[in-house]
Amino acid sequence: MIKTIRGLSVSGTLVLIAALLSPASSAVSAEQKTAKGSDLEQGKKLAFSRKKGNCLACHMIKDGVSPGNIAPPLLMMKSRFPDKKVLRAQIWDASKRNPETAMPLFGKYEVLTGDELDKVVDFIYSL
Amino acid sequence: MKKIISLLILMVIALSALSIAHADPEQDRKSIIKFFETRFVGIPLSEYVNGVYAYDTIGRESWEAIEEFPPYEIAIEKGQDMWEKPFANGKTYTDCFPDGPAIAQKYPHWDKKQAMVMTLPLAINQCREANGEKLLKYKKGSINNILAYIAFESRGKKTHVVIPKDAPGALAAYEDGKKFFFTRRGQLNFSCATCHIQNAGNRIRSDNLSPALGHTTHFPVYRSKWGAVGTLHRRFTGCNKQVRAKPFKAQGEQYRNLEYFLTYLSNGLELNGPGSRK
Amino acid sequence: MKLVIKLVLIAILGMSSASILAAVSEKDAGIAIAAAEAERKKAASVDSEWRDTGKIIKKAQEAMNKGNYEKALKLANRAEHQGVYGYEQAMSQKDLKMPSYLIH
Repeated sequence: MIKTIRGLSVSGTLVLIAALLSPASSAVSAEQKTAKGSDLEQGKKLAFSRKKGNCLACHMIKDGVSPGNIAPPLLMMKSRFPDKKVLRAQIWDASKRNPETAMPLFGKYEVLTGDELDKVVDFIYSL
Repeated sequence: MKKIISLLILMVIALSALSIAHADPEQDRKSIIKFFETRFVGIPLSEYVNGVYAYDTIGRESWEAIEEFPPYEIAIEKGQDMWEKPFANGKTYTDCFPDGPAIAQKYPHWDKKQAMVMTLPLAINQCREANGEKLLKYKKGSINNILAYIAFESRGKKTHVVIPKDAPGALAAYEDGKKFFFTRRGQLNFSCATCHIQNAGNRIRSDNLSPALGHTTHFPVYRSKWGAVGTLHRRFTGCNKQVRAKPFKAQGEQYRNLEYFLTYLSNGLELNGPGSRK
Repeated sequence: MKLVIKLVLIAILGMSSASILAAVSEKDAGIAIAAAEAERKKAASVDSEWRDTGKIIKKAQEAMNKGNYEKALKLANRAEHQGVYGYEQAMSQKDLKMPSYLIH
């Protein structure tokens, strides 16, 4: 029964490794850029959606209407998280860094699918 | 000799186990009060009966405007009719509650005979059952009328939850409720404390989070969202659903024990129900 | 006549290949649903069932009844995970630890 879960976390790790191995954004072609743009749009939609990321429940985000103030505003993410995978790990399971966090475990508890999580991470990282 | 030694050892074990389980409710209450005093400097304890409006100054204005023509007034009137109208057998609620209707301050309490936390809604239904009346539902509907009437009549009395020392089950029920309160639950992994202690006064989207202190003083509550007066356990249900946990049965053991703990925290605070909320 | 035989052959081939491609059988879906239900109950036994787990299992059951075994399996797996996580969530908090913000 746990097997499926194990399989899942393995695939999660694979995604993580894949994300690590992916080339830096400066090297992408124009074609990829448009694809990336729409991915960012999807990430934004997921981040703002009450049923999915609902990041606005707690974080201020540019363009977001009536954000909460439980958690820090999402700005300058690249300087706060020089390593993107640290940001991804934070969204995946924030309790690892802080057991008393109020942040849901978006990845671990499957609030978002792996694909959705990647899009949200991309969007948040663009802020 | 051996027997005596092993008996002594057993006693020591039993005693130490007892001391671990024996957390001090007064200490819990005081440390939570201290938390709020530090977080909201200058807000007197007595203000917490107003829930979030103790510190949500913007929300307070519209709340005060609503309270001028309270949306729960009809419920109080209907509740009074219920209280006064004899049952089919000719008896009334006063036969069950001779000190009524101002009795909200007596609940919840540890019922020694039934060895469980007795809440007001449960006591009302036990009274009805004893008199051959239909049981009322515990979340919505007419139970809120009689609760609103009793709450209104009990205004000004003080929360006074007792955990009798001679009934070990009472402390266990309190501990159980306390554990419930601090346990993270649901897909979103929140405990009651995450929102109502740790983040009280912070906003989820545009909603200011209410303090656990004072939560129980103003129920039943008319909520604009419900368009009706609802019970405390209906609110518990809503909270559990919001964190994506499966809610428990209204008036089941979990929620009754939670009510016991939560009400204990407000000991000494004035009852001011029924209330109104967004 | 030849055409008819050809058509029949194609039809048979098509059907068999379809059944090979549809990797999820009714049995698989049924097993997954039963596993999900077991995990849901386990989480409920420690007061830690999640809100949607039962609903997801119901949807899985409906998908199975309609013959959509793949969908049934997917839903059942999701519900199963929820049951496992819900149980783990409760177990990791078996002993109440007071939060640091309340310890003075």
